[in-house]
Amino acid sequence: MRASSETMIWRYNVVGMLFGFVALMIVAQILRIQLSPQAHTFREQGDIYAGEWRTVKPARGLIYDRWGNLLAGNQTVYELGVELKDVRNPETIAFTLMGVLKSDYDRIYAAASRKYSLDPEKPAVYAVLANNVTEEQKARIESMAKEIANQPVGRDQTPPSLRGLVFRPTLKRSYPEEEMASNILGFVNDEGVGFGVEAKFNDLLAGTVQKIWVPLDPNRVEEVPEVASGSSLVLTIDREIQSAMEKLLDEAIEESGSDGGVILVADPQTGEILAMATTPRLDLNNFGDYARVFPGSTPFNKAVSQAYETGSVFKVLTMAAALDSGAVTLDTVFVDTGIFELGGIYIYNWNSGAWGPQDMTGCMRHSLNVCLAWVAAELTPSRFYSYMQAFGFGRLTGIEIAGEDPGRLKMPGDQDWYDADLATNSFGQGLSATTIQMVMAISSLANDGKMMAPHIVRSLVNNGRQYNTSPQVVGLPVSVETAHTITEMLAESLETESSDALVDGYRVAGKTGTAEIPTPYGYTSNMTNASFVGWGPVDDPRFLVYVWLEKPMTSPWGSVVAAPVFRQAAERLVVLMNIPPDHVREELGVANR
Amino acid sequence: MENVKRLTQAYYQAPWRKQLQYIVFFLVLLVMSAVVAGIYLNVTARAVTVGQEIQVMQIQIENLKRTIADKETSLAFLTSTSTMEQRAREMGFRPVEPDKIVYVVVPGYRERQEIHLAPASQPTVVSDPKLSPSFTISLLEWLQVNVFNPSSVLAEVLR
Repeated sequence: MRASSETMIWRYNVVGMLFGFVALMIVAQILRIQLSPQAHTFREQGDIYAGEWRTVKPARGLIYDRWGNLLAGNQTVYELGVELKDVRNPETIAFTLMGVLKSDYDRIYAAASRKYSLDPEKPAVYAVLANNVTEEQKARIESMAKEIANQPVGRDQTPPSLRGLVFRPTLKRSYPEEEMASNILGFVNDEGVGFGVEAKFNDLLAGTVQKIWVPLDPNRVEEVPEVASGSSLVLTIDREIQSAMEKLLDEAIEESGSDGGVILVADPQTGEILAMATTPRLDLNNFGDYARVFPGSTPFNKAVSQAYETGSVFKVLTMAAALDSGAVTLDTVFVDTGIFELGGIYIYNWNSGAWGPQDMTGCMRHSLNVCLAWVAAELTPSRFYSYMQAFGFGRLTGIEIAGEDPGRLKMPGDQDWYDADLATNSFGQGLSATTIQMVMAISSLANDGKMMAPHIVRSLVNNGRQYNTSPQVVGLPVSVETAHTITEMLAESLETESSDALVDGYRVAGKTGTAEIPTPYGYTSNMTNASFVGWGPVDDPRFLVYVWLEKPMTSPWGSVVAAPVFRQAAERLVVLMNIPPDHVREELGVANR
Repeated sequence: MENVKRLTQAYYQAPWRKQLQYIVFFLVLLVMSAVVAGIYLNVTARAVTVGQEIQVMQIQIENLKRTIADKETSLAFLTSTSTMEQRAREMGFRPVEPDKIVYVVVPGYRERQEIHLAPASQPTVVSDPKLSPSFTISLLEWLQVNVFNPSSVLAEVLR
């Protein structure tokens, strides 16, 4: 009995020692692995599963009109990718995506059939198959995945499968107003290159892309840093006015058979752009149509990117400069013989007629080239061009839209400037300016001589703070008296000639323009650019409207095709901007001047 | 010698008693280890649960942000100029003619205000640091306020 008990004790000891030895070996092995030269590699492999570095693209800033209507927002779309280790049948994936997303079969097949690899030199873990997959497309693919999973298969066949597909939500730019204001908003590609406000403010709108560590191990969970959205913009645009002007422009183009056009509405007292309607326009939600809508070198926004010879609307500035400098007065009389010679070329009137004695108002009323060429000669080249520079011609206005054209103002001393240029420049020929430059220059006449910087961004919202822009005076090219005189002169001119631009109940000032279009061989084309610039109400200008119709077919004259468009625009504006008629404002005593 | 041996034997513990002591000691160690392990497991499990909840919440925040962006844009589509105009026309409205407008003076009328999406930026004002009274009043002053005039403390509480 005693011997048996001793044997048992011995056996227990052996078993205990055995277990102890195994435990010791496990501990030794743990230590060996921890201290081995390969420990670093093991840790790296472990880290792959501990979390991931995620590139977080902040939500793009929003763009609103002046009243807070959303013009550019964001919508959820999906990045469709494939986890290579889970792929069972790349053929099914390629075939399905070809059907649903119209993707290229070979490209998808090649991407989905790559061999899964964790090799740090050439890792193959995940591949992006498609971007901007919509909610509907996602739902379709998911339902197909379920159907395929339930499909019976033969024993020798590789079962069809969509396993491995992964949808990652992301935000895509979306434009609720579609075509409206598209020329202002613009768009950018993945590199941030593009058009309009989107391109000009891309850095602010896009925000800062950040790479953050997201632990997958709940034990190591930590606060994910907040990635701030891009800054938002509030534009000076009023979407009701923008929409009305775009409709009006489209109608005017159709009625006149024009190639295109611009209607630009600004507040002359602040330089704020209220509407900028141009053609052609693009539904920004389908910006892939860009090449079709803008063939060749068609500018994205004609108002800022296409300089043209403005014609007689330019006379407003020549006359303003002459009156301001004292070269002529309102009562100066010019005897129009129908011809004027300067620098070896002869200037004729638009009807080749001689209009006899004319005061300066008469010269403007009848839009006499001969008279204005004489006025410019009286002004002298140095004063004429220094005034034109003061009006901002030949340089950028600085409006916050990408792709602005500075136009061309030849100056004395330039190789291609001749004496004759003074005569032709006086009535808007031989120099080119954009609509926005014209609006900036003429805003000084409608705003007591103060030239306001045209701007389209009213506020920037960043980090929970709103930064408003202030109106900026960029020059005082003419005096208050000159501004009032020229405004009165132009208002009177319209009233005397019973212009189509007159607006019932409101006194407005304005000037027509008809410019021949230069070709490489001179002014040989019958085509014209018809323009009209006007502002009102004269006693307290609240709007300045510039109309440009390109190559109208029904009539070449600005007074016939562009002036009525100004009237219609002004009639809409007084309603949309709540501007009571002159007599009502006088009764209420709200008129300034 | 015999006495010494007898005395030693008298104080020598029985083998079964010794064995029992070892077993008890081992069991105490085992129980203590189990308690520590249990507490560790419990705390870790709770931490992991909370960690997982945080991860889920982070995903929820992302989803909510996207949903808000979606809703905002969808609302903008539903209230876009063309849609609103179409709806207005369907309801029988038409654009007003300037000569049909009657202007009346409304006292206190405020014009439509431009949008303010966020508070306006303001220059950062660095205010003077205000020291707590504990650092500025003397012990005597403190006694006067809090001990000799206890109603002031009551007033502070009731305020």
